[in-house]
Amino acid sequence: MPPRLDELTMARRAAAELRPGQVAALGSGLPAKLAGVLPTGSPVQLLSDGGALGYAPRDGGNSQHSSSLSGPEGDAVALGRGGSVVGLADWAAMLRGGHVDVSVIQPARVTASGDIIGWTTAATPGLFAPGRTVDLASGGGKVIAMLPHTGSDGSPNIVTESSPVADGRACCDIIITDVAVIRVEDGGLVLSEVAPGWTYNDVANITGAPLSGGDELKEISPNLDSLSSERPGKLYPDGPSAIADLFDGATVMIDGFGGPGGMAHYLLVSLREQGTKDLTIISNTIGIARIVNFGTPAGKLAIDHSVLVENGQVAKAIATYPVSPSASRPSTFELAYRRGEVELELVPQGTLAERLRAGGAGIYAFYTPTGAGTLIAEGKESRVIDGKEYILEQALTADFCLIRGHKADTLGNIVYKGTSRNFNAVMAPAARTTIVEVDEVVEAGELDPELIVTPGIYVDRLVIRPEGFSPYE
Amino acid sequence: MPQGKLYATPQAALADLQDGSTILVAGFAGYGVPHSLLAALPDSGRKNLTIVYRAGPQYEDGPYATSVIDDLVANEQVSKLVSPLPFFPGNGGAIEERWQAGQLDIEIVPMGILVERLRAGGAGIGGVFLPTPVGTRFETQKEKRTFDQGEAVLELPLKADYALVRVAAADTLGNAIYDGSARNWAPVMAMAARITVAEADRIVEPGELDPEAVISPGIFVNRIVSAG
Repeated sequence: MPPRLDELTMARRAAAELRPGQVAALGSGLPAKLAGVLPTGSPVQLLSDGGALGYAPRDGGNSQHSSSLSGPEGDAVALGRGGSVVGLADWAAMLRGGHVDVSVIQPARVTASGDIIGWTTAATPGLFAPGRTVDLASGGGKVIAMLPHTGSDGSPNIVTESSPVADGRACCDIIITDVAVIRVEDGGLVLSEVAPGWTYNDVANITGAPLSGGDELKEISPNLDSLSSERPGKLYPDGPSAIADLFDGATVMIDGFGGPGGMAHYLLVSLREQGTKDLTIISNTIGIARIVNFGTPAGKLAIDHSVLVENGQVAKAIATYPVSPSASRPSTFELAYRRGEVELELVPQGTLAERLRAGGAGIYAFYTPTGAGTLIAEGKESRVIDGKEYILEQALTADFCLIRGHKADTLGNIVYKGTSRNFNAVMAPAARTTIVEVDEVVEAGELDPELIVTPGIYVDRLVIRPEGFSPYE
Repeated sequence: MPQGKLYATPQAALADLQDGSTILVAGFAGYGVPHSLLAALPDSGRKNLTIVYRAGPQYEDGPYATSVIDDLVANEQVSKLVSPLPFFPGNGGAIEERWQAGQLDIEIVPMGILVERLRAGGAGIGGVFLPTPVGTRFETQKEKRTFDQGEAVLELPLKADYALVRVAAADTLGNAIYDGSARNWAPVMAMAARITVAEADRIVEPGELDPEAVISPGIFVNRIVSAG
C-alpha cells in the first residue's frame, strides 16, 4: 500500500475546512495539531478547554507548565491578537449555545451514521474518559472527526453498527483519516478524497461500513488559501446600517437597567427612525428612565425604550419592571398597556437574567426557586427537588440584541464600564445577531484578554456612538 | 486564629474538614491546581471523602492534582470520585486499581455537563435541561423531555462542602483574580461550595484589585491562604 498521511498533513486537511471569521474548538490528539499548521495571524480563532479563545502555539508548544495558558493538551499556548481568557463554564456555554462554528475531535471510532465512540482502551475495557469529547461532539456547528483509519491491530475504526454507548449521536459531519476524507450524509458515508496513490477499493477494504461516491474521487491535497483572506469586519458605519435587517415582528433584547446608563441610546434612536413594527422587546424595564429622570437635565427627556413604545413599534414586552415607581407619573408602556395596545410578560429580575443566560448557553429550561408559590408560578410546572419547591422556566433567545459596551476591539471583544455591565453580558450570547454600541473601537490585541467580559464570539456588529451624541433629547 | 478570611496555613484553613465531606478541586491539566491545599488533605486523616476534579497531565516531575488524589485513594480516604477524566486509562495508579477492584466509586461526567451542574449548584438552580447527553451513554436513567429546541436531559445540581482553588491574587475580602488557564473550574467551584478556600500567590488589601477585573467576588471566597 502507498504510505498513509502524516499527522501534519491530516491537520492541514482539517484546517482547510475552516473559513475566515470562524471559531474552532479543538480536542486533544490529532485535532490539537491544527494550531501548528494554521498560517500566522490566520483569520480564525481556536478555542481550548484550557480557557484560551484565539490561541496559537507558543514556541513550538514545548514549554509545559511555564506559561499561564493551556491548549487542549495542557500544552502552553499564547493568545493571538484579539484572544481572550475564558473559564470552563464559558467554554461549555460557547459550545452548547451554538457559538462555535467547528469542533474537531479524535474519537476511537465513528459509525456510518456519524455516531462517535470516545476514548476507551483495550487495557481498560468498560472504562471511558469522555473529558471534553461529548461537549465538542454535541456542540460544534460542524464536527470534524480525525482518526487513524484503522486501529493498531488493523481493525477498521469506521464501523457500521451503532453502539448503544455512543459519546455523540449522529454528530459527525466529516471524517478525516490517514488515508481518506469521508463525508457523513443522510444516506451514509461518501468517500470524497483519498491519500496519494490510494484507490476507492483500497479504502473500502479497510473500512467497516459501506462507502459510496467513488466517481468523483479527489486526491487529498490540503489547500489553506481560503485562510489567507481577511475575516469579515464587524464595524458598521452607523446605527441605521447596523440594524437595517431588523424586521417587523422581530424579538429584540435591549439592554438597560433603570436609569439611562448602560443603554444603547444611539441604536434605540436608529430603530425609531427605521420604524420597524410589531417588535417583542426583552429588557429589564421597558422604559422608566424617561419618567424618573435619574439626573436628566431640566427640560430634557432621557432616551429609553419608551421612544419605541411612543412610536407604536412595540407589540409585546418581556420585562421585570414595566411600570413607573410613581402612580402619578405612569410610563409610556404602562399607558399603552392600559389602552390594551401592548402585551406584557412579567419576569422577576433574577429569573430574566437566568433565562437569558440559558438562552445563550444552550440550556433549554431550568428549575428555579424564585417565584415558587407566587403569581409568577401560575401556568408553570412546579416540582419539589431535595425538599425545596422550584418552578420550570424556559430559556429566552431573540433575533437581535442591542447592547451598550464601553470599548470594543475590531474582533468584537467588549469591556463595559461600571454597572452598565448589567444585562449586557447575559444578553449578548442570547441573540442570533448581537449589535453593540460602544464609545471606542480599538485594534485587536489592545484590550487586556483577562478583562474582556463579552468575547467577540458573541458579537456580530459594532457601532461607534457618534461623538457628542446625547442620551437626552 | 484566622484574621478575617486569612488563615496561617492550609491545615488551619481545612481544620474543620469532616469524614464524608465533598471537596471540589480546581485545576485543568496542571494549571490552577491548589497544590498547597491538596497537600494538606492526606494528613487530615479524613475518610469517605468525595472529590470532584479533573486529572492533570502525566508529568514526570512535580505534584499535580492526580498524584495527591491518587495518594488519598491509596490511603483509603476516598469513597467516591466525580470527574470527566478521573485518570489516564492504563496509567491510573491506585485510582485505577481500586476502581478495577470495585473498591472505589467513580462517577464520570462530561466536562461541560459537570461545570454546568456545579454552576447550577452555586446559583441555586434546581436542575437544568441540557441537550449534550441526548443519545449518548450519559442520558441513561435520566429524565428526558422535548422542548421547542429539541430533546434535552435533566441534569441535577452539584454542591459541595469545600472548594479548593488557586488564585493569582486575592484581597483580604476574598475578591480574586486568576492567571490565564488557572481560571478553568475555579469561579464555578467557588460558587458551588459551602466553604471555598483560595490559595493565593499574592494577598493584597481591599481596593488594590481593579473592581472590573475581579472574577470571583469575595462573597464566594471564605478562606484565604498563601500559596506555598
